[in-house]
Amino acid sequence: MLLELTLYFMLLSLISVGGMPSVLPELQRYVVDVKGWIMPEEFMQIFAVGQAAPGPNVLIASLIGWKVAGLGGALLALAAMCGPAAVLAWRVADLWERFKDSPWRKAVQRAIAPIVVGLILSGGFILATPGAPDWRLWAIAAASAAGMLLSKMNPLWLLAAGGVLGAVLL
Amino acid sequence: MSVNPPNSLRELFLGFLSIGARSFGGVMPWAHRVMVEEQRWITEADFAETIGLCQFLPGPNIGNASIVFGKRWFGLSGALVAFLGLFGLPFIWVLALFALYADFAATNETLRAVVTGVGAAGAGLFIGTAVKLGRVIARRPAALALIAACFLAAGIGRVSLFAVLPIAFAVALVCARRGLL
Repeated sequence: MLLELTLYFMLLSLISVGGMPSVLPELQRYVVDVKGWIMPEEFMQIFAVGQAAPGPNVLIASLIGWKVAGLGGALLALAAMCGPAAVLAWRVADLWERFKDSPWRKAVQRAIAPIVVGLILSGGFILATPGAPDWRLWAIAAASAAGMLLSKMNPLWLLAAGGVLGAVLL
Repeated sequence: MSVNPPNSLRELFLGFLSIGARSFGGVMPWAHRVMVEEQRWITEADFAETIGLCQFLPGPNIGNASIVFGKRWFGLSGALVAFLGLFGLPFIWVLALFALYADFAATNETLRAVVTGVGAAGAGLFIGTAVKLGRVIARRPAALALIAACFLAAGIGRVSLFAVLPIAFAVALVCARRGLL
């Protein structure tokens, strides 16, 4: 299981354009729907803890590793999720600089942007719909999206407000 | 503004440690504060350029940024030190928080409701981010169509990203080369 998870995260690392938000739908599909390692509500709670704790949100991968295989799983999951992408970043950084004015670099940038937007939207939708559609979760999600777009407050306040709404509504 | 790159691996490590330690509610603003404003390791423009690159590479943006900056100043050991500094404390905290949560959640209905609410609000932040990024590009019909197609495939249809990404990228690249994006 640990080996399977590690290899999966290494592959996922290489296609995680846009970072953790855009791979969440795929991650949820695999660990919840395909493998059944984690329950749907559990996945949402792992995500919630990962969002509320300080640090890069790739640490959600560690929590999944922890849940599946303990401390070793947590360490390996983080290494596997970051490693292959880090090697790529290492190689590409200079190359990217050299192709600063190349039309291909601009085309790649333009091509990736709408895909990332569509995937992040998917991540938000899936997290707000862990089981059967529930208007209360959608209302909390909509309120926090609106709060983020209409104000410049630290997102932690929006998460806290979501917690309060959860206690009242759920 | 004169910049003043880190002089030692220790300084690099401590800088990234302080980014990770304080990064409540998102790492990027803290990365900016430490590297550009407090330590003056890099210029504003340099920061924006590097983050821009890291957003197009696979992997966690800020994790990649730690690799790129660490490499620039101290090679391989710099990349490793920056990465470890960034993740060291948050890794411990997130596990501790989750262990604590798992202990109490088994018996406490209200705590579960609160955390589920936090999760829904976090989902809302993703939706807000997508709207923010999407507003800029969605004037082009092709971009809007690509956003919708990716959402329908990955979000509603639950198609694997390993299928969605290559297909969407090939289509998007053709569109971009023809000036449609």
